[in-house]
Amino acid sequence: MTETRVVPVAPNAASGTRIERLGRVFLVFAVVLTGAVANAQSQPQTGRKEIRFDVAPNGTINLVNDAGLVTLKTGPGHQVVMIYSPHSNKMEVDRESTPDNRRVEIRSHALNGQQPTAEEAKVDMELTVPAGVAMSVSTSTAPITAEGLAGDVTLSSDTGQITVANMVRSHLHVRSVAGPVNLTNLSLGHVDVTSSGGAVKMANVTGPKVNVATGSGNIIYQGDCSGVGDYLITTHSGDIDMTLPQTASVDLNARSVSGHVENDFPLQAKKHPVFVPKAGSSFAGTSNSGSSSVELRSFSGRIRVKKQ
Amino acid sequence: MTYNIAATQPHLTDQRPHKGKLTQAKKITASGLSEAEAIERAKGGDAESFEALYGLHKRRVYSLCLRMTGNTAEAEDLTQEAFLQLYRKIATFRGESAFSTWLHRLAVNVVLMHLRKKGLPEVSLDEALEPQHDDGPKKDIGARDIVLAGSIDRVNLERAIESLPPGYRIIFVLHDVEGYEHNEIAEMMGCSIGNSKSQLHKARMKLRDLLKLSRAEKAARH
Amino acid sequence: MGEDEEEMNCQQFQEVLPYIIESGGNEEEEAHLRSCPSCAELVRDLRYIAEQAKLLLPMHDPNPRVWNNIEQSLHQEGLLPEGRMSRQGHTMTYPTPTQSKSWTPIGWLMALAALTVFAAVLVNYKPSLPAAQSTAQNSSTQPAQLATDDQQVIGQMSQEDPGVRRAYEDGLREADAYISDAEQAVKLDPQDAVAQEELVEAHAQKEMLYQMAAARSLQ
Repeated sequence: MTETRVVPVAPNAASGTRIERLGRVFLVFAVVLTGAVANAQSQPQTGRKEIRFDVAPNGTINLVNDAGLVTLKTGPGHQVVMIYSPHSNKMEVDRESTPDNRRVEIRSHALNGQQPTAEEAKVDMELTVPAGVAMSVSTSTAPITAEGLAGDVTLSSDTGQITVANMVRSHLHVRSVAGPVNLTNLSLGHVDVTSSGGAVKMANVTGPKVNVATGSGNIIYQGDCSGVGDYLITTHSGDIDMTLPQTASVDLNARSVSGHVENDFPLQAKKHPVFVPKAGSSFAGTSNSGSSSVELRSFSGRIRVKKQ
Repeated sequence: MTYNIAATQPHLTDQRPHKGKLTQAKKITASGLSEAEAIERAKGGDAESFEALYGLHKRRVYSLCLRMTGNTAEAEDLTQEAFLQLYRKIATFRGESAFSTWLHRLAVNVVLMHLRKKGLPEVSLDEALEPQHDDGPKKDIGARDIVLAGSIDRVNLERAIESLPPGYRIIFVLHDVEGYEHNEIAEMMGCSIGNSKSQLHKARMKLRDLLKLSRAEKAARH
Repeated sequence: MGEDEEEMNCQQFQEVLPYIIESGGNEEEEAHLRSCPSCAELVRDLRYIAEQAKLLLPMHDPNPRVWNNIEQSLHQEGLLPEGRMSRQGHTMTYPTPTQSKSWTPIGWLMALAALTVFAAVLVNYKPSLPAAQSTAQNSSTQPAQLATDDQQVIGQMSQEDPGVRRAYEDGLREADAYISDAEQAVKLDPQDAVAQEELVEAHAQKEMLYQMAAARSLQ
């Protein structure tokens, strides 16, 4: 009889190779996947970037950023710190400086060939600038917030809200098509606001020259008009509401061509009035020593002056 | 509490021609109009009356601008600007203060605004607290034996004022030359009353040094 | 703590001197002044300087060109007629066509405004608007037709956010209405300086919109 020995059979070479190959592929995939996940987690989702650059002590920074946010602050030192976050990778921010750093241009724009949506086109920017540097900022829809700036500041936006606070001895120039303008605690400087449809609100805005003009935007003023200044507040069809404390020292003239004019603030009649007051349409008078000249004018809007 | 420092000097009559010391009626224009009449006519838009007012006040306004800026061209520009503003605003003059006082204040504001745009040297409390570059009391400055009292030549004083640093010069001119009080200066300059006093003191100290030096140099030449 | 009797020294006195030289000091300060020749001399000098400064009279007349420049500026602003004729009334007189030989800036602005309004009227009566212009307008109801120039400005903003474009349209309409009202006021009383200023302001509003729109289209 023939004896049979059981001999262990070696695995099929081909199937073994396939499994190995699959295993290797899986391993590579796992490594790549892990790396990708780790990489994504290490970068902020908005791509927040911080850069620092020099600007000459009395230099100018011109910034254009249509959409997103713009925040301006003053900081120590002689460098500008700019932190910006594009909302998509379709936008970038360019910066150019003159050799002497007296003028710096910053602009956000879409990359070549890209057509970002309204959301994708947004870039949030925050600039901390040395005191005394002049700023000029232009946006389309991006709100602008400026706090504690010194020097010449020009802010202009189509529909973005413009908010300015705590400026002393500066020249502030604001232009707005339809965005609201809020000014708080500005003193000892020039304030010049032109707004077509945006409302203008002022709290404690005083200085040698305050000019506010709107087309249809309402104007609200709360403060004491101090600083022996000239205050000219005009609107075509907006309403003007002014609230003054009893201590305000003003020489006040108010006129509306076809709108109603009311006054609850105590005034003394002027010795040399520029026009003859007409009840309901105009009034004029002084309070205390009449240090500041205040002119309120409207065509068809209402003018109201109240005591605080 | 009395204080006798003032008694160390004989009282001098204040001969400053402003702050209401001259009434409008005393000034007569070249055309024979009183200043009051010229003002009323200028308010109504009379160009010749405005020119008459210019003639009456140009020297004072220009001198103010020149002393505050130390620069002829700037002073001319600022004088021009001050009178242009006067033309635009004369209708708002209420007559509650002397016209010259009102115009003067307007001119000061024009100059300060201009200096601010240029970068007005900040008058800060920090400056007031800075240690003097001479430590200790001033017992000896320049030539010890030069006594200033009775010796100042007004031309030298003008020159010394001109050579003051701008921040000191402005406050000195406003207070000692033009007669503004510290509270008014503080309001105009946006500083504290204490700061105004401190800066004025420094200005006077600097002038003292300059004038003594000038006297010493003159004495050395003879 | 120091003794009450401790006398003031020169350094202490000179530190407070700026604040007391005019208003007066206390007994301690006065005592130091009496006893210290150096500080007494300092105070004497400083007060002397201040008093001499008070006596400085205005010494300088400005160059005659200053007045020439003032006159020229007033002419250019239309605040002074040519030839410096004396004017009547309480406010500035706007030169009437019979008096003036050339137009002032106010006159040019008014003429431009009149042309703009006239163009707007013409556009209103056109049989049909060009297709591009009608599609550029988002709003379904148009309270007032924009002037041709204004429409061109809006037309250049076709790539802009619709909200922004609408803001400019509303702004331009508002500015045109402002100009129209201001012109009426000047017409009613040509001597009303405030009405003239408001006409200038109305044009300034429109100019601002044009400038901002131009800047936008350049970007």
